Amino acid sequence: MKSYPNIPNFYTYSSVNLLLRRCKEPRTVDIEEYITTGGYSALKKALNRFTPEDIIILVEESTLRGRGGAGFPTGRKWRFAISNPKPRYLVCNADESEPGTFKDRIIIERDPHLLIEGMVISAYAIGAERGFVYIRGEYPAGAKILENAIKEARERGFLGKNILGTDFSFDISVYRGAGAYICGEETALIESLEGKRGHPRLKPPYPVSEGLFGKPTVVNNVETLANIPIIVTYESYYMNIGPAGYYGPKLFPISGKVNKPGVYELTMDITLRELIDIAGGMKDGKKFKAVFAGALGLYSERDLDIPMDYSPKGFGGTGTTIVLAEDDCIIDSLIVIAEFFHHESCGKCTPCRIGTYELLNILKKFQEGTATEKDLQYLEHLGRNIPVGSICGLGYSAPNALMDALKKFKNEFLAHINKQCPAGVCF
Amino acid sequence: MEYTYLTPDIVNKIEEYKSEFLTKDQIIIQALHLIYYKYRDLSLDHMLELSNFLEVPLNQIEGIVTFYDMFRVKRNARHHIRVCKNLPCHIMGCKKLIELFEKLTGEERNQESKNGRFYIETVECIGACSVAPAFMIDDDLYDGTKITEEKLNEILSKYT
Repeated sequence: MKSYPNIPNFYTYSSVNLLLRRCKEPRTVDIEEYITTGGYSALKKALNRFTPEDIIILVEESTLRGRGGAGFPTGRKWRFAISNPKPRYLVCNADESEPGTFKDRIIIERDPHLLIEGMVISAYAIGAERGFVYIRGEYPAGAKILENAIKEARERGFLGKNILGTDFSFDISVYRGAGAYICGEETALIESLEGKRGHPRLKPPYPVSEGLFGKPTVVNNVETLANIPIIVTYESYYMNIGPAGYYGPKLFPISGKVNKPGVYELTMDITLRELIDIAGGMKDGKKFKAVFAGALGLYSERDLDIPMDYSPKGFGGTGTTIVLAEDDCIIDSLIVIAEFFHHESCGKCTPCRIGTYELLNILKKFQEGTATEKDLQYLEHLGRNIPVGSICGLGYSAPNALMDALKKFKNEFLAHINKQCPAGVCF
Repeated sequence: MEYTYLTPDIVNKIEEYKSEFLTKDQIIIQALHLIYYKYRDLSLDHMLELSNFLEVPLNQIEGIVTFYDMFRVKRNARHHIRVCKNLPCHIMGCKKLIELFEKLTGEERNQESKNGRFYIETVECIGACSVAPAFMIDDDLYDGTKITEEKLNEILSKYT
């Protein structure tokens, strides 16, 4: 009997059974299990029947967007990369550190070969010979599983020199991060991957032209890369999954006050309200209050009918859904988020470094009951100016949830000025 | 050259990394993980030895250690408890869990350990939000949804 690392079971549900179809049991990390359930057939198909150009066209047609949060079209990113000279690198971003996000770890810990297969096909498409998986330091079990899976894949000839007898060679190394949210930002990730402090670089040049060691680098999220074998397998049938323009399965990590928190694999034609219903509805029948989209946005009851896709009005991002009930305080939650950003700011840009600290201090005044109307104005002032003075996504998005709250939950701020907490948490 | 902290295991693994990674700098964080895993702490002596072994400047290693959270804190304990305090765990009651840990271990959160057994650290998201409040002890992740004092005592007794 083989032993597997001890990982608590996360609840998973899938309506399309593509990304999560092997994620129920620990034994699915084995290569035999993966091959008997159709694994590595997409790689064979890609290498035997398609040119790299064919695959890029397939990915472009699939409308696949980066699942790491920014939602940039993957095909277009690859197209930029191949316009730059070799050597090129492929980096898998497995540094999911966004609060409430735990979708990539399911793939890494339960179906690592899907990720490896996706990486090999992607590397073939963009002409990379070397790849890295940047996995966050907090996933030691995941790193071990992945290293093991890479070894297995090498032994079977799916990785390494002359893959499946072709003249295409590609190899992957696992690189562990060490607990820095900022390293999920692609240029900071590259700095960290080069063995430095994870400070973001000024863009442009973008990584597709000057990335790892100054060479063209494609950085893709785990879920994005895991979609590639599915696209290659289904080709145009992929366009039957989900709504027009936003094809393909999407993972939604749901946490907070719902009955069945977990990772849900769904298509993007649902609304936020439906998503919460699928997750079992509100815990203990409590009243819904708000949804935090990770740390990057706040939705109130009025927004429950927004679509969960990448349209301008859609939910987008990583799909992270943290559900708050009536007995959770918005100010209290915003303080947690502000502490997070203050802690994770790398310190390179002063408006972000000092601004996130100021935000935290002012929010604390609301909780203590010493805030005034002036503080509200100051919050808005900071919320507008921190993004302007920062060079990376962390600074751009640090005040997002707060700005949403100022619009949608202003009454809570005003109540706190009068030393009242509607949820009964603060005073 | 003789090393006090870099055991043969660690040295062998670093040699493996040398053939795997493209530059010497890329090895630093991975090597620090090895040292941290073995000693559950990173002191200046550890860094100095690594700096000698890899032939990279000490300031470069220290720069990394002070930047990355997992290396940063002086812990002085055999086991490292990490309790998530981010939003999903916060609303699911991580405060109670932290208090329970403090009660059972007799340590204070984010303070140097008194008897060298446990160090309790409150950390940002550890990516286990559906089992919130989530916590890790050393490299093991635990489900905190239905945790009771008895269960927690049982778990802690595994770490001596």
